[in-house]
Amino acid sequence: MPGPSIAAYLIVSVLLFATGAFGVLIRRSPLIVLLALEIMLNAGNLALLAFSRHSGNPDGQIFALTVMVVAAAEAVIGLGLIVAMSRQRVDLDVDKLTSLRG
Amino acid sequence: MITAAWIALFAPAAGTLLIALLGQRISRFQAGLVASGSTLVSFVCSVIVFVVLLGEHPEERTHSSTLWTWLSAGDLRFGAQIQVDQLSVFMMLIVSGVGFLILSYAVGYMHGDPEERRYHAYKALFVFSMLLLVQAGNLLLLLAGWGMVGLSSYLLINFWHFRASAVAAGKKAFIMNAIGDATFALALFLLIQRTGSLDFATVFKEGVVDKGSAAAILIALGLLGGAVAKSAQIPLHTWLPDAMEGPTPVSALIHAATMVTAGVYLIVRTHTLFELAPDIQDLAGILGGITILLAGLIALVQTDIKRVIAYSTMSQIGYMFLAVGLGAYGSGLFHLMTHAFFKALLFMAAGIVIHALSDEQDIRRMGGLARNLPWTYRAFLVGALALAAVPPFSGFFSKDSILASAANAGTLGWILWGIGAVGAFLTALYTFRLLFVVFRGELSAFAREHLHVPHFECGLAMAWPVAVLTVLAAVAGFLQVPWGWKLVDEWIDPVAQSAEEATGLTLTFSVVVTTAIALAGIAVAWRVWGRPNPLPERLRRRYPWAARTLEEKFYFDTAYDRAFYEPTAQTAAFATRYVEEPVFLRSLGELARGVRLASDRLSTVQTGRVRTYALGVAAGAAILVLVFLAVS
Repeated sequence: MPGPSIAAYLIVSVLLFATGAFGVLIRRSPLIVLLALEIMLNAGNLALLAFSRHSGNPDGQIFALTVMVVAAAEAVIGLGLIVAMSRQRVDLDVDKLTSLRG
Repeated sequence: MITAAWIALFAPAAGTLLIALLGQRISRFQAGLVASGSTLVSFVCSVIVFVVLLGEHPEERTHSSTLWTWLSAGDLRFGAQIQVDQLSVFMMLIVSGVGFLILSYAVGYMHGDPEERRYHAYKALFVFSMLLLVQAGNLLLLLAGWGMVGLSSYLLINFWHFRASAVAAGKKAFIMNAIGDATFALALFLLIQRTGSLDFATVFKEGVVDKGSAAAILIALGLLGGAVAKSAQIPLHTWLPDAMEGPTPVSALIHAATMVTAGVYLIVRTHTLFELAPDIQDLAGILGGITILLAGLIALVQTDIKRVIAYSTMSQIGYMFLAVGLGAYGSGLFHLMTHAFFKALLFMAAGIVIHALSDEQDIRRMGGLARNLPWTYRAFLVGALALAAVPPFSGFFSKDSILASAANAGTLGWILWGIGAVGAFLTALYTFRLLFVVFRGELSAFAREHLHVPHFECGLAMAWPVAVLTVLAAVAGFLQVPWGWKLVDEWIDPVAQSAEEATGLTLTFSVVVTTAIALAGIAVAWRVWGRPNPLPERLRRRYPWAARTLEEKFYFDTAYDRAFYEPTAQTAAFATRYVEEPVFLRSLGELARGVRLASDRLSTVQTGRVRTYALGVAAGAAILVLVFLAVS
């Protein structure tokens, strides 16, 4: 079952990761930041799966499943925090949440 | 018999523990009963031991018993060991007997004090420590008792801990005694090095150190240092007058009758070591002689009733040192015993006076008390006559016995005899000055206002011990009578062979002269203080430097302050100013300021913005990747 080579998968993965990282860095809405984080995680997943297929070792797939579980848990906590913030009428802008400044 | 000795030793310790453990569950009065009762047990046991020893052959009266190994290090082994012989029984009887009387008196004297239980516990602890000192079967245990009497003395001197002067006096006593304890301990180290043991049997064997060798001299000197400090002899005497800050029964028991005579006991106990260093033994006698004179002179100008008696105690212990320094051990111990009786009596009578005048101790505010306190006056008079060595009161026989021995001890003996005779004059003078100023003449204005006389002049609890001691102070002297018998000498001789006393014409001369001198002292005191007389004032105005020297107590305190306290305080102030502040305090401050400044700068990195942190993480990761690439 021939398909695209592993390099193609990795290029897509890198593009996804860069998109996610860029999103985290430039967007100010916590919701979008969370979204961008998910994209980064999935970029990682894609790389894991590609390597797993390439080497015929199923460990990568199992690890990808674990990452998905963690991502789901993180989304729950992150979205919960965002809901709580909006209930408290806090601005949904990560640049304004600076009470931990030294 | 040895069981009785052990019970005698541990009964007061049990009393202390009982009072401490029961705490509030017994009343203050019961605590006093426990303390004096436990001492009574000791006394009864001591009497039993004494009676058993009486029934034995004089040469076979030494018994020792070890309960367990108390301390062992390498080859050294020290048992919890007591030794019962003529000397220790003699001391046991005095300590527990006089101790019992004074503890009973204290039940009345301390009545109403809020911390009475603590007081009685300390008192019983003292009796235990003192018995440990005199019963110890090796020098290490003796040193333990020696330290513990110092501790109990400290605790009792500053018993009234809310008085700054009492606390200072306690510390002073402890420090002065610590000097003596240190020299004592050094002597013991030397002994261990020479003999490998501290047991009496080994240490006192002949030939452990060569006579007159450096080691013998150092050992004797160390022991003498301990004795001088504990017995408040010049030059380590300055703590005793201050120790009068303690309650009066404490002064009677510890600072007159028992603890301060421990030095005399030590010298008699270790007399074989002193005889190996005759110069040091002479030194003991000379220090005693100097103390007799100086303390007697200072006592003439003191105005605190207890301090006068305290200086008198120093001077009387000076007689004992004089005796044991000349090898007259029996006479020294005899004087120790009679002194315990009449000095405890004087203190207790003074305590009654102090109580009756609502705790006033200044004799210038007293006067004319004989009419209101007739029985106290009589008791005090008996004590004063005994102290001034007027026949037939006890002090006459014992002091006379000492002077008769001195008269037989060569040139040094005759010099010390002269000092003792002058001392006898001073003793009579200051004693009867006290008596006349306090009891004779018109009732003073202060007394008229504050005098309060309860039943028996002081309550029954205080009255009967004073009565018993009055009788003892009057008649105890007949144990040893010139031209007659010498019961104390004979009793002690198997342990410590006394030097010969003068006989015949010399003895007659000594007795007649010292008695005449004592009577002359009383007569002079009567002329000067028995009725209004301008003489003391005139002398004071004529020789202001002399009055000042006496009032400053020959400047010993001032000299010690200048020599030890002030340099230390100045060094400390110097070190604070030029070492601690710049080097430690300021450098630490600078260091802290630097750290604070750096962290201030660093904290600006922490912006609180999530995106900055994310950028940091991303940049860090990128740098790591580049580094890995470069390395591989």
